[in-house]
Amino acid sequence: MRRPGERRWWPWAFLAPGLLVYGAFVFLPILDTLRYSFFRWDGLTPPVPVGLDNYLRALGDPIFLKSAANNLLLTFWFSLLPIALGLLVTSLIARSGLPGTRIFRSAVYLPQVLSLVVVAVVWRWLYSPAFGPLNQLLEGLGLGQLARPWLGDFELALPAVGVIGTWYEFGFVTVLMLAGIQKIDESLYEAARLDGASAWQQFRHVTLPGLRNEITVALVFTLIAAFRVFDLIFVLTRGGPGEQTSVLSYLIYRSAFQRNEVGYAAAMAVLLTLIVLAISALIVRRREAAAEAAA
Amino acid sequence: MAAAPRSTVVIVLIGALVATACGFGASGSPTPGSPSVTPQGSPPSGSPSAAPATLLVWDQEVRNAITPVLDQLNDEFEAAHPGVTIERQSKSFEDLKATVKLALQDANGPDVTQINQGRPDMGAAVQAGSLLALDDYAARYGWDKRWGPAVNARNSFSDDGKQFGTGSLYGASLTGEIVGLFYNKEKLTALGLQPPATFAEFEQQLAMIKGKGEVPIAFGNTGGDAIQIYGSILETLVDRAWLDDFIFGRGGRSFDTPETRLAAEKLLEFSEKGYFTRGYEGISYDDAWKLFAGGKGVYFWTGSWIGGDLVQTAGEKFGFLRTPPQQAGGSVLTIGGVGLPFAIRKTSTKADLAAEYIDWVTGDRAMELLAKAGVLPSHGAPGAEGTGALQNEMAAAFAEANSKDEVGHYIDWAGPTLYDAITAGLAKVLAKRQTSGDFVKAIDADYQAFLKTLE
Amino acid sequence: MTGRVSASGVRIRRDAPRVTWLQLVGGYLVLGTFAAVALLPILTIWLTGFKTNADLVESFFGLPRAWHWENVAAAWDRGRFGTFLANSLIVVVPVVLGALVLSTLAGYGLARWRFRGQQLVLFVLLLGLMAPMEAVIIPLYYDMRAIGLLNTYAALILPQVGLSVAFGSWWMRAFFLSAPGELLDAAAVDGAGPVAALRHVLLPLARPALLTLGVLVFTWTWNEFLLALVLVSDDAVRTLPVGLAFFVGQYSADVPLLAMGATIVSLPIVLVFLVFQGSLIRGIVGGAVRG
Repeated sequence: MRRPGERRWWPWAFLAPGLLVYGAFVFLPILDTLRYSFFRWDGLTPPVPVGLDNYLRALGDPIFLKSAANNLLLTFWFSLLPIALGLLVTSLIARSGLPGTRIFRSAVYLPQVLSLVVVAVVWRWLYSPAFGPLNQLLEGLGLGQLARPWLGDFELALPAVGVIGTWYEFGFVTVLMLAGIQKIDESLYEAARLDGASAWQQFRHVTLPGLRNEITVALVFTLIAAFRVFDLIFVLTRGGPGEQTSVLSYLIYRSAFQRNEVGYAAAMAVLLTLIVLAISALIVRRREAAAEAAA
Repeated sequence: MAAAPRSTVVIVLIGALVATACGFGASGSPTPGSPSVTPQGSPPSGSPSAAPATLLVWDQEVRNAITPVLDQLNDEFEAAHPGVTIERQSKSFEDLKATVKLALQDANGPDVTQINQGRPDMGAAVQAGSLLALDDYAARYGWDKRWGPAVNARNSFSDDGKQFGTGSLYGASLTGEIVGLFYNKEKLTALGLQPPATFAEFEQQLAMIKGKGEVPIAFGNTGGDAIQIYGSILETLVDRAWLDDFIFGRGGRSFDTPETRLAAEKLLEFSEKGYFTRGYEGISYDDAWKLFAGGKGVYFWTGSWIGGDLVQTAGEKFGFLRTPPQQAGGSVLTIGGVGLPFAIRKTSTKADLAAEYIDWVTGDRAMELLAKAGVLPSHGAPGAEGTGALQNEMAAAFAEANSKDEVGHYIDWAGPTLYDAITAGLAKVLAKRQTSGDFVKAIDADYQAFLKTLE
Repeated sequence: MTGRVSASGVRIRRDAPRVTWLQLVGGYLVLGTFAAVALLPILTIWLTGFKTNADLVESFFGLPRAWHWENVAAAWDRGRFGTFLANSLIVVVPVVLGALVLSTLAGYGLARWRFRGQQLVLFVLLLGLMAPMEAVIIPLYYDMRAIGLLNTYAALILPQVGLSVAFGSWWMRAFFLSAPGELLDAAAVDGAGPVAALRHVLLPLARPALLTLGVLVFTWTWNEFLLALVLVSDDAVRTLPVGLAFFVGQYSADVPLLAMGATIVSLPIVLVFLVFQGSLIRGIVGGAVRG
């Protein structure tokens, strides 16, 4: 690609400013997190090297395990459910080509641009058993026995946070799917119909394979979101009741900045990063394998 | 075209970018509009200590009744110290707890801040070396006479932060605090009840109130407030020696005792019998007090910090009593003492001014304004007598507990992680996810692990 | 667009089966329901911001009986939202500009040349794209403390530029790679160096990609929470989301005041979205799938 007269360092000249800022304020800190994780450090006194102790502690810490499990459960609400709903809505409406689809697209996407703190304020009120609309609505409908303390309920707190995640991610997923389905060749559906394929078979054998790219992207982004969730928990529950809504990001924040267990927090942050990277790699790998198999 | 001139362009471009980026950082103290310099033409300062300065003060006095008191105190302080600006930043108790230790380690952090007593906050901050010992100022301003030794012990740590209740003084408090039972007078009278004399009578009343279809106790637990009810019940069961030892980390006490279990069982029993506001698990403290003030609840089991707001809402409607003793007329410990103390960041360059400010904000004038606002003052002062019935009842309860040496402690002060552990644990007990036995064992394990670090 | 306007005025896809009334009604029912679920909570909170507590007792979802504009002033003063809004703007503008310039340069460098270490650079950038903020924030806090940048705008701007560059470099690289090769070659034939090619040929073409990137970075920066929570403790530098979070703690029972706070935080970003929604959604669809 290098053209005559161009120097070897040209690309680096273009890259340097960006890499400088990125390196200093993102990449080096990531490496430092890894380094910190091998020390016991309170942020003040000299750090003490402890080898893998912090990692062993995390793997034996019931709160860490509980939080990781909560993140895992949230993937259903942040990722699988929105994708399922997105696929459903998309396959129901996209091919009928209803006018107004663009307005719909913008409407469902809107939650995505909001600060999660705003989202938390909205839902905190909706869920409030004392003054919120949800329970009063239920009671008004004569369903008072369904009223719950939602975010304070041991069983329902995590699903209640999860529903917010579904609400938030649905638009992003649907926008991807809507765009993807437009690209599927209509003749594929026609051929399927000629073969006598039912609506479900058309979905299964034409729509799903056609949306493979979009589903992969949606999976990667929403799964990462489920493991990164912090703002919602900080404003809504601070991990409560008990540790029912504790998630890794909140646990890391609390350990690092409220309890001065810097090394331990760093080890948990490394573990969280590894989980996120592993999930992304797995999805992309599977997608590539599937693409090869199809080719 | 030759490459050389172009590369110069690139380098200049990069240089410009880096310079712009850094320019935002180099501006240093980013407090637009906060005058750290006296405006020109202002009168010369009257008092010698009044050099132009901005004092950054954090507090958690956000409740309606008390927040104007601090504003007024700040205004008066500024008026007496030309050139001095008080930059007040208030946040909720929970948010203060979440951020203050970090902020104290920051060279741009607050000069003066309120910080919760006990191991989790003040102890940790002392251990981190981020608070200034106030002994010299205490002597200069007579704080040792303003409050008794028992009060000052609550704001004291050894300089390594390991011994609680002794050593240097690290804070001075504005408000007095006592945790007890607010009650709705009309409702109690309508039910034909008197304030209970014993805990057993209190329990009978709760059953009866519930039977009449009223909410016995207004309660919201999203902020972990079960800890106040649990602590209140516990302190009717234990003696002074055990509590003091446990709190100050002396004598190797255990938290796994029949009393700690019984208190947890009682809390669960109250919940199961429906004595608390329905859905309390999802109701915040603020919602609970709004419910109580609005007549939804006969009792409200909380601290005097809410008293000012109740006084200002409808003071004549509510009464206050200490959590009743197990035996009639018997001795009983009541959680309380003084409110969150004001402390000074060790690295503050304005320590003298900060100390003068703390003296002012906890002095006689402050007590007078507090009393006017219906808030319980931390010490007696001329003009600081209460004006309404509720206020007088709180003040009387506070005075009685003090004079009988029956002021207890907040149990979470005993260890740096106990606040989180106890609030989370009680939520589990209430949801029947943990037995009272497992709860006290878990708390004891947390506590013993902490005691080990002191050795 | 693959559709066309039919005689009846209903846009349908070529060769698609005839749309029955049932499908039409059903389709709109589905669209309407999901759109309502997405929008109602937001619209309700905006309306609630103009109510009083008494109005709320009467009806949660109706229009306010009278518009209580004084709530704006109350939130503005008591919540210090004026300061927070200014701070958010002071942070977001340099981040967007910085990210756009640095990402363009880096993306161009990555797209135009093939060089030793390129894969490593791409991977290193990808790491920053994927890693959760928690993996960055702990050392960042201690570094910022060491160089005295805590409680400054720089503490919020610089890491955010860094994070945006990780994404932006990939983004702009993808754009430049997709640009017709002959444009580069034509520029090269004309004797234009890389800088001239970038400036005169590619940048004008890159406008949509830059616009989308700018809106994305704006959104992320505007909504950023953890950095602002940890690196700034002083109200005077605090940005809107953290300001709102603490406001919740202080006025947790005053629903209209909270709602007004949420309105002040959300309106600017919603306006940005409404203006740029077309390019944003197109960009996300194109970029995300391509990336």
